[in-house]
Amino acid sequence: MAAVAESVRVPPPRESTAAKIGRTVAKSPLQILLVVIGLLWLVPTIGLFITSILPRSEITTTGWWRVFAHPSLATFSNYSTLFHQAGLTSALETTAIIAVGNTALVVVVGALAGYAFAWLEFPGRDWIFVGVIALLVVPLQMALIPMFRLYNTLGIGGTTLSVILFHAAFGLPFAIFLLRNFFIGIPKDILESARIDGANEFWIFLRLILPLGLPAIASLAIFQFLWTWNDLLVSLTFSVTTLNVWIFDQFRQFSQSIDIIAPASFFSLLVPLAVFFAFQRYFVEGLLAGSVK
Amino acid sequence: MSGASVTAEPPPKAAPPEPSEQGRSRYRTGALFLAPAFFLLGIWLVYPTIYTIIRSFFGQSGYLGTWVGTENYRTLFTTSTLVTAIKNSAIWVAVVPAFVAAIGLIFAVLIERVRWSVAFKTVVFLPMAISAFATGVTWRIMYQQDPNVGAINALSRSVHGAFSPAGVLPSAAPSTTSLQQAHGGAMVLKTPLHPGGVALLGLTGIAPQDLPKGAQQAVKPAAKSGAIVGTVWRDFKPGGGKPGVVERGELGIPGVTVELKGSSGKVLQTTSTDLNGTFDFATVPAGTYNAGIGAATFAHPFGGYSWLGPKLITPSLLIAYIWIWAGFSMVVLAAGLSAMPRDVLEAARTDGATEWQVFRRVTVPLLAPVLSVVFITMIINVLKVFDIVIALAPDSVQSNANVIALAMWRTAFSGNNDFGGGSAIAVFLFLLVIPVLLLNIRRFRREI
Amino acid sequence: MRGSRASRARAARLTAVAAVLAAVLAVAAGCGGSSNGSKTTTTSANTSVSGSVKFWGIWSAAEQTAFQKVIAGFNKQYPNVHVSYTSKGDNIPTILATAIAGGSPPDVADVAQPGLVKQLVQQGNLKPITYAQSTINANFSPAWAHLGEVNGKLYAILFKASNKSTLWYNVPVFKQAGVAAPTTWSQLLSDAKTIKASGTPAYSLCASSGWTLSDIFENIYLRLWGSAKYDQLSTHQIKWTEPSVTKAMQYMAKIIGDSSNITGGTSGALQTDFPTCVDKAFANPPAGGMVLQGDFVGLEILTATKAKAGTGFNVVPFPAITAGPDAQAVETGGDLIITFKDSPAIEAFVKYLATPQAAAIWARLGGFGTGVRNMPASVYPDAITRTTEAPLLGAKSVVFDLSDNQPASFGATTGQGIWGLFQKFLQNPSNTSSIQQQLESSATAAYKSGK
Repeated sequence: MAAVAESVRVPPPRESTAAKIGRTVAKSPLQILLVVIGLLWLVPTIGLFITSILPRSEITTTGWWRVFAHPSLATFSNYSTLFHQAGLTSALETTAIIAVGNTALVVVVGALAGYAFAWLEFPGRDWIFVGVIALLVVPLQMALIPMFRLYNTLGIGGTTLSVILFHAAFGLPFAIFLLRNFFIGIPKDILESARIDGANEFWIFLRLILPLGLPAIASLAIFQFLWTWNDLLVSLTFSVTTLNVWIFDQFRQFSQSIDIIAPASFFSLLVPLAVFFAFQRYFVEGLLAGSVK
Repeated sequence: MSGASVTAEPPPKAAPPEPSEQGRSRYRTGALFLAPAFFLLGIWLVYPTIYTIIRSFFGQSGYLGTWVGTENYRTLFTTSTLVTAIKNSAIWVAVVPAFVAAIGLIFAVLIERVRWSVAFKTVVFLPMAISAFATGVTWRIMYQQDPNVGAINALSRSVHGAFSPAGVLPSAAPSTTSLQQAHGGAMVLKTPLHPGGVALLGLTGIAPQDLPKGAQQAVKPAAKSGAIVGTVWRDFKPGGGKPGVVERGELGIPGVTVELKGSSGKVLQTTSTDLNGTFDFATVPAGTYNAGIGAATFAHPFGGYSWLGPKLITPSLLIAYIWIWAGFSMVVLAAGLSAMPRDVLEAARTDGATEWQVFRRVTVPLLAPVLSVVFITMIINVLKVFDIVIALAPDSVQSNANVIALAMWRTAFSGNNDFGGGSAIAVFLFLLVIPVLLLNIRRFRREI
Repeated sequence: MRGSRASRARAARLTAVAAVLAAVLAVAAGCGGSSNGSKTTTTSANTSVSGSVKFWGIWSAAEQTAFQKVIAGFNKQYPNVHVSYTSKGDNIPTILATAIAGGSPPDVADVAQPGLVKQLVQQGNLKPITYAQSTINANFSPAWAHLGEVNGKLYAILFKASNKSTLWYNVPVFKQAGVAAPTTWSQLLSDAKTIKASGTPAYSLCASSGWTLSDIFENIYLRLWGSAKYDQLSTHQIKWTEPSVTKAMQYMAKIIGDSSNITGGTSGALQTDFPTCVDKAFANPPAGGMVLQGDFVGLEILTATKAKAGTGFNVVPFPAITAGPDAQAVETGGDLIITFKDSPAIEAFVKYLATPQAAAIWARLGGFGTGVRNMPASVYPDAITRTTEAPLLGAKSVVFDLSDNQPASFGATTGQGIWGLFQKFLQNPSNTSSIQQQLESSATAAYKSGK
């Protein structure tokens, strides 16, 4: 098989130290401004974290920033109470199953379809592709009522499978769009020579397209994982208790549960944050594919 | 674009149908590859769209129910909560994409020149990883009106306090009708005074811990000829006491600025009260005077903006939402900027254009495709807003903060189970999104 | 293909994410989980009944912990029945409606609205609990058992009840103002005036939670007109546009009409939910003098503030307005246990909840009231609770919270119906006639649609 030449980025030319210092000094006001903006941007998240480590009486009567002056107020008791709440573990598991499951489904089905639109020939292919793009804008609200009824009729209401299929279907238009645009960038000769060698399309798909398409597939997977991990509406409608639904259920009149909701909300950030930090690079690449040529 | 011969940009042309065996098997392969996608799309997107459109013309319950024609749509445009939802969603669409694009662009341009742009991008992009629901909870905590609890109002209070500091006795009220509250908060004793007169200015509504330090038992001073004397005191003792009378157990208020006004209303003298509340205008020429306390003493501390109140709830939501999505816009635009051909910019600069002109005339137009991606994505997302509203807005303003997607869920699923009405709202939402769809298709076809 | 370094980096990242996921799950699983695996004791344990019971309830946080102990008590008698409790918060009417429409309701649920119970019975969704009749008759007064009946048939037990006709006050604030706890309406108003003059707003309202305002209205109406007329309004036999309602609202305006006598002012109160207003009234320094809400305030004061019973806070019955037998009538709210399915496990659980033992477990923890007969008031953990819950024990005459007795879309939905309209009333307390008309039209629509 022909090797693929990786696109290599040329590093910028090295500057002399003096020039570097000169540039840095000239940019100081800008740097300061950006640091301030960055810190401000973090304030809400920091506020959420601090709220989660304060006892309830402090949260409702004083500002969370007091903790910087009185660090002794902080306590992790809210978290230990949180983890003893029944239902949290299973909500977490359900969320994980749904997020991973639908992502896998979207990737596989989307890649198959993306390849078909990119490199397989059949009549009306590009028109059908336009049709799929059109589906991008269908709001999922359109499908809530009919699928609610359909699921009940089929008896799969309230199951994680019902939510997985729903998310996968709605992730498909974007997936197909993204992957098709990426696959099209694969040099034609590679595919042609493989076909001449007698390879069938499935082999080409598995051994050539998927490996080459990994960056786009990774971006897609991360987006889809994050979006479905953070979803509330769909799981709420289909009565499936994911983490967000569990938190939503804690909103309670008779006893303010901010001491449960705050730690739970912060806790629910951790997995998406971990995924985000680990795979930042792919976000940008994914966003670019299909938007900037 | 004409029928069968469609040209796609990189290589493959859709060849005219081949009668060969290889050709037919390719079509079969194509069908196989597409089958799972078509299955999912057909059942979850195409069928529901058709069903919901049809369903919107029928009644509340049942698979189809009873035909009601356009009644659901009429309800949609006449029910006040739904009309509010439509108005709010219009505001969202008008404001959010523009701000998100603008802020993202500014950030993208700024960080171009900085080394540690990745750190900045990470920080600003971070909110994208947080669920909109958790974001709602987070910002709700920040928006609390009480400046002691809500971060934003605490900040506003400090800013406000720097310009118009709170008075010493913000919650005070007169204890008798002889002390009148004038416009602006100042208090004036109605009864005119002459030299040798005694003025009693009794105040209530002051918590004992809010009295200035060192307050002592109030004293009614003896009249002094040629002077006007008086007391400012907390006219309250347990049980209330007699208003207007200085009694045992009632404390004077020290450090209050008392004004002596002439008959023209001009302030002639001022003095400050002692620890027992007494004050003394020692030499007063003959005439008629009024004693009073200036408005500054009663200036209310900044009570905080009602971010979570009916008027400001939508702007508050918009701010939180922009906080989430600015990062997305910044990253996309930064990538677009970095992919821009430098020579065009250099050429413009050497031609003598200023940075601003370069930005406006060259950079922005070149960024147009990327900007349109941001706009289109934001418009689609904004119409679907749901969780952030549910989490951020307290119950008392849910109807003021209502947006279309939330109204749809409430109508169809939250107790009312009005599937006809819910379908109508969903269809309406879809209609709003269709212009975006057409834009998208046009853009795409240009790229093919 | 990617270089080996890049793939190693990717592998490292994947491992890191997997590790975080695993750690998160492990921590959550470590402490989380059920607490109903109690050991069998020497008291007779019934091992023949087995099965599982899916219970959806309103109680979260501290209340949930308390109920888990009740379940543990149940498991001592029935160790082979697995009860799983899930909190759905106050979204329960919505969530139940969705689940029922979806064909997957729980086995047992607890709801706070008898109006909702009636609706569910009419839709044919509930199973009667007549098997528990004898247990209930043995432990409760007929009036109490009657609260769980629809059309004469037993469908629910009022398991956890609350006395909503109470008034909680900040003792130091009252002392500083030199006023005594009010027993009559005029005393309440004059106390409030004096407290305001002393420098603290008299009323701490939780107006963001609309039901707190409707509770105040209901207490005023009950004490103004008596329980018979209250019941008529409760079943919509008289209209909301009636003069009796007008007068009650005018009385209420005397409390809510002065923004400077409300903690945070009117707009601040509308952003303060329950129980934050309680926290504010008993904070240091206090931001309010009184909280006009039911017995659940006590639990909040004890858990979230530093105020102590007697020295920091105290409670009295809601002030009387009209003299007569109903001058001290009790308005109760509560949680009704209802069943959607029937099985030996469910029957055992429901019957257990009707016993004094079950009630005593939670009663001892506080924040719980019950109408169980012959229960000594000493089961309640402190003097305050005894004061508030004694009127319920063996109560012969109780009325149910009016708004809970309405169809859900009128009586128990955020931002609309009774809850939403009384919030509007707070914003404009002189606006009685317009609010009354809206109440009436909202009620009519709700009763017509049966929802």
